Amino acid sequence: MTVTDEAQKVVISLPAKAEYVDIVRLNLYGVASKMGFSFEEIEDMKVAVSEACNNSVLYAYKHDQGNMEVTFDIIADELQITVRDEGESFDAWGKAAGRTGLHDKDLEDAQIGGLGFYLMQALMDNVSVESESGRGTKVVMSRRLIPSEERV
Amino acid sequence: MNMSRNEKFNVTSHLEDGICTVALSGELDLSVAPELRQVMEPLVVDETIDLVINLKELKYIDSTGIGILLSILKTRHGMNSGFLVEEVPDQIQKLFDMTGIAKFFAAENSH
Repeated sequence: MTVTDEAQKVVISLPAKAEYVDIVRLNLYGVASKMGFSFEEIEDMKVAVSEACNNSVLYAYKHDQGNMEVTFDIIADELQITVRDEGESFDAWGKAAGRTGLHDKDLEDAQIGGLGFYLMQALMDNVSVESESGRGTKVVMSRRLIPSEERV
Repeated sequence: MNMSRNEKFNVTSHLEDGICTVALSGELDLSVAPELRQVMEPLVVDETIDLVINLKELKYIDSTGIGILLSILKTRHGMNSGFLVEEVPDQIQKLFDMTGIAKFFAAENSH
């Protein structure tokens, strides 16, 4: 695969179940390594994309079974990953106080809620969440490939 | 490094001289969290042991896994019982630092 100006796309659709999230990670590894991301960068993105999938698994389909769709868009030197579900919307995840991490908290006050979102933001260049009641959630995240000569 | 094969999660525990060492390997994510919670449940509340979690062979952790470790740490801290997380791989340490949980581990380890 050569990276061209033309955007390229890989789309997978899977059951929104915990045991399928590792398949998303394997696909991410395939796409990101083809693009030339380093091992460490891929590990970062694995966590970020898994957190988005975890969210769909945990909150999207409370009573029914449903799918999540993961799209890898290769846009020049950037990998954009979209995780979409068609489940119920949620507020707790993206808007939780946990967005700040645990740095300023005492052990007694440390809660894990929101850490997934926090990690996603910390590990990717850009993250956005669109959520509409009853119409599902779309998480879009991206990371730019830094050419090796720019690496420190 | 073999990325094509799934790194299946596994837990083993070993008790010696009052120290219970639990070694985690493979990928600790949402799908195996119930398994880990089940194994840890009786150990976490055991005041007669010092609890050590060894992460040397752990390849991956997500916020669910970090949450379990935080919950164990809180319980052990509340009981004033020994708890240590050891041999943390660099990539996982990075996530501990990023989330801020690292400082709690460090404080607990210095007891």
